[in-house]
Amino acid sequence: MWGRDVAGLRLTFHLAGINNQNFLMRDEQTGSYWQQISGKAVSGPLRGSQLPFVHSDELTFGTWASEEPQGTVLQDDAKYRFGYQPKNWDVRMQRAPTVIDFREHGLKARDLMLGIQAFGASRAFLYDQVIREKLVKDHVGAEPVLLVVGRDGQSVRAFRNRIPGVQGAPDFYRKPDGVLVDAATGGEWNFQGCAISGKAKGECLEPVEAIKDYWFDWRNFNPATTVYGKR
Amino acid sequence: MLACLALSLICVVYPIYVIRPFRAQGARELAAALVVMRFRSAATLVSCAAAMAALVLYWRAQPRRWRRAFATAGAAFVCVLAALARVNIYELMFHPDDRPSFAGASRTKLDKDEKVIAVKIGSAGRAYPIRNISYHHVINDVLDKVAIVATY
Repeated sequence: MWGRDVAGLRLTFHLAGINNQNFLMRDEQTGSYWQQISGKAVSGPLRGSQLPFVHSDELTFGTWASEEPQGTVLQDDAKYRFGYQPKNWDVRMQRAPTVIDFREHGLKARDLMLGIQAFGASRAFLYDQVIREKLVKDHVGAEPVLLVVGRDGQSVRAFRNRIPGVQGAPDFYRKPDGVLVDAATGGEWNFQGCAISGKAKGECLEPVEAIKDYWFDWRNFNPATTVYGKR
Repeated sequence: MLACLALSLICVVYPIYVIRPFRAQGARELAAALVVMRFRSAATLVSCAAAMAALVLYWRAQPRRWRRAFATAGAAFVCVLAALARVNIYELMFHPDDRPSFAGASRTKLDKDEKVIAVKIGSAGRAYPIRNISYHHVINDVLDKVAIVATY
């Protein structure tokens, strides 16, 4: 997700093209083209500009609604309701052909990944593996990160594994109810990454964007990516 | 006239050829196609005007009816291409949701296990159901006075 205010302009975007199955947006104001996955202008007067990053998570509606009871939800446009996708769209799309492929790490082009681009590095995690493991403790570049599966067994969030005032990367484990416990303070942490008990109560882990993407797309735009659990 | 026809055809056909689904795009050809798309509205308009001017001159110089008819059809085609150059097929195919509407979480009927893209700015939380955003792909929005674009 991206901010729309760039170079003193408020941009309005339309889907206007495709680059190896990652779409391009055109802004009405300048006619520049922007790559969806990177938020970078690849052509036009704003070429080279970067849209401001806005953090987002892919969650189940149940989990989100429990966290944000006052939140608002995009409603269907009645004109297009016939075209809306079934709820497992990303899984169904795994059958669609791809035009590029990267036969590395034993991965298939449409394997679903969680990609993190942060701390000067890129790292991809097989979505199914993260769901199975429920708590992944790893590094992106030199920074320790956590990937946490919510109580619903489907929502995933990623965090920088640093607690203010605690040296090094604390060792977390996940209780069956989804609550995390860190060995450094003994405190409990909820799925939003905030301490709900212990010395660190009130502190929150820094969220890290984990993009759900197909392997071919992630690898195409992150050629130096490494993959969790693969050499 | 032929030059006008060739220019207009390139302006319309080349981007469609390069930027079509289920075809790999090379970096250079994509960059070229995007430049063509950027300037083709003006280029095809100039081409249309030049074709009409050429047609007038041709009518004066060429008495044979079938040749005049052929030239007229050519000029008309150049102008049709000028109109087509103003159309982005993708913008037609992927219907934008120009006026997104929102309702409270408690008033929204979604299964608990439906996936949403969730964003929080300040104290304002918003969710974009994937079954909806995977159709429109791009939602221009404002949340807590911050202009954002949700993409999928």
